[in-house]
Amino acid sequence: MANISNKDIATAIYEASHGKAGHDLSVYSKAVVEFLNKKRLISKSKDIVDTLEKIVNKEEGIVTVKVSSATKLATETKHNLAHELKHRYKARDIVWQEIVDENLLGGMRIEVNDEVIDLTLKNKVNLLKAHLTKSV
Amino acid sequence: MSNHIVESLKKEIENFTVAVKAEKVGRAIEVFDGIAKVSGLSDIKSSEMVTFQNGEIGVALNLEEDTVGVIILGDFSKIKEGDEVKATGKILEIPVGDSIIGRVVNPLGAPLDGKGAIKTEKTYPIERVAPGVVTRQSVDQPVATGIKAIDVIIPVGRGQRELIIGDRQTGKTALAIDAILNQKGQNMICVYVSIGQKDSKLRKIEARLEEGGAMAYTVIVSAGASEPAALSYIAPYSGVSIAEYFMDQGKDVLIIYDDLSKHAVAYREISLLLRRPPGREAYPGDVFYLHSRLLERACRRNEKYGGGSITAFPIIETQAGDISAYIPTNVISITDGQIFLETDLFYKGIRPAVNVGSSVSRVGSSAQIKAMKKVAGTLKLDLAQYRELEAFSQFGSDLDESTKKQLERGKRSVEVLKQLQYAPVKTEHQVVLFYALTKGFMDDVPVEKIKEFEKGLIDYSERNAKTFYKEVKESKMWTDKGEEELKKVIADFRKSFN
Repeated sequence: MANISNKDIATAIYEASHGKAGHDLSVYSKAVVEFLNKKRLISKSKDIVDTLEKIVNKEEGIVTVKVSSATKLATETKHNLAHELKHRYKARDIVWQEIVDENLLGGMRIEVNDEVIDLTLKNKVNLLKAHLTKSV
Repeated sequence: MSNHIVESLKKEIENFTVAVKAEKVGRAIEVFDGIAKVSGLSDIKSSEMVTFQNGEIGVALNLEEDTVGVIILGDFSKIKEGDEVKATGKILEIPVGDSIIGRVVNPLGAPLDGKGAIKTEKTYPIERVAPGVVTRQSVDQPVATGIKAIDVIIPVGRGQRELIIGDRQTGKTALAIDAILNQKGQNMICVYVSIGQKDSKLRKIEARLEEGGAMAYTVIVSAGASEPAALSYIAPYSGVSIAEYFMDQGKDVLIIYDDLSKHAVAYREISLLLRRPPGREAYPGDVFYLHSRLLERACRRNEKYGGGSITAFPIIETQAGDISAYIPTNVISITDGQIFLETDLFYKGIRPAVNVGSSVSRVGSSAQIKAMKKVAGTLKLDLAQYRELEAFSQFGSDLDESTKKQLERGKRSVEVLKQLQYAPVKTEHQVVLFYALTKGFMDDVPVEKIKEFEKGLIDYSERNAKTFYKEVKESKMWTDKGEEELKKVIADFRKSFN
């Protein structure tokens, strides 16, 4: 028998949860945990939940955006960014994860799923370093 | 001077631009034995190049549902779990150019000879589809290897794939190196791909090629025994990409893969680590395709597509002469013939230890010049008959005259085919020697004096058969006039030889 992947399990959990809310959902969640325990999948539960989150986000049009910058983002920048990202990823809603890291020197780095747009000064300096050493 | 440096630095910085682009990035979730399992990288292609955070390069081989199996081409000890892995969108490529000639490089094109970076702008992908049927031409130009047993009995043509197979220590590499040494002035670029060989052996080979002046037209691609298996895996593909660069310029290239047994072993290691299902002898299912797609890139292009050719000499090491093992049978079926080297012959003193009975060239005499064709004639058949008679003659001494004659001729043929290492023989000299042999001029020369006779004959004929040499060397022709002259010269020499 072929191995069942975490993605298969997460998809099944998501599809079976359709139309469930309130008490039903809580009963359902308990049943899922019992099932995972019975099938000895509890150790994989973190990965399954992560995958489930990705599936839910994809289905509901939610995009998680991780923005790293040297200083806190201005509201206007964030607003413009949200507009652009919603358009690019055809998203309905955006969940922000903001990280302030002074080591980035300036600019920002945007991570959506496995796509990265790195506009930080640190990255530019690194690229310049590679360019200059390559030219020698 | 310092002003100049500052100015040039300023200029470089001014010209430097960073394009805004979205990159596909993954994270290493597992790193072990030269393999990394990477999450993310959703749109990655098979064989796509990836770069790790520490600058190492990898190639995506296994595209799984949630992860990508990447082979790391370099030091994997510094790659940690959680490191960023970037997709490049490109198939792995190596720098190519005329400046690579005379250099020793690793499979990624990085210099190993301490002579600085390869200065070239051009790159070629290491994986390419072999040239199609319409671009090809049949093989009809000889590769003069300088090895008598090969040039006369198992002729190799430009664009052919001829396997060199034998046990360890039978002279496989020596044969290949001799072939490279003999390409001086033959309008041929040579690529020697060393796969999983000892660095000491490579150094010796490089020194020998340098000494023979062969590095002027040779490139060495090396993935040493201490390097990761991933580098050994890509080494032959890198080598053939370099060869293709020269072929694309209409040049003839000779490429040696030393050896494909180790290549298959390296691929087996990678495949098992990537958890691909093992098949026969634990090799993965696609081990045939591994070699067939490589050797198919050797070809002769027709004039319309720029001419040029790649002649491949893959080497296979057998274990205790077992040619029916998986990899030897695979490569035998892919190539256009094989040169068998045998331990028994080697220790009998027959060197090169070529077993002419089992060795074949499927291109055959169409890859020989006319003069060679004329003298080679039935030599292979005669030798095969001699071997059979030799076995019989051990049981009794009552042999008829013709059998005795055949045995004597056979002994001399074997003697003439013997050759020292690093002593290639020119084609025209081979023609003289084999003409003298097949026309019976050597029949009454004592076997132990054959080598002396050979040397003397070559010197004497060069001085006295000028018309013949001119014809064979320049127009590759064989005329009655030339033959008459040669015959007379050999007869004269025989009379004076004691």
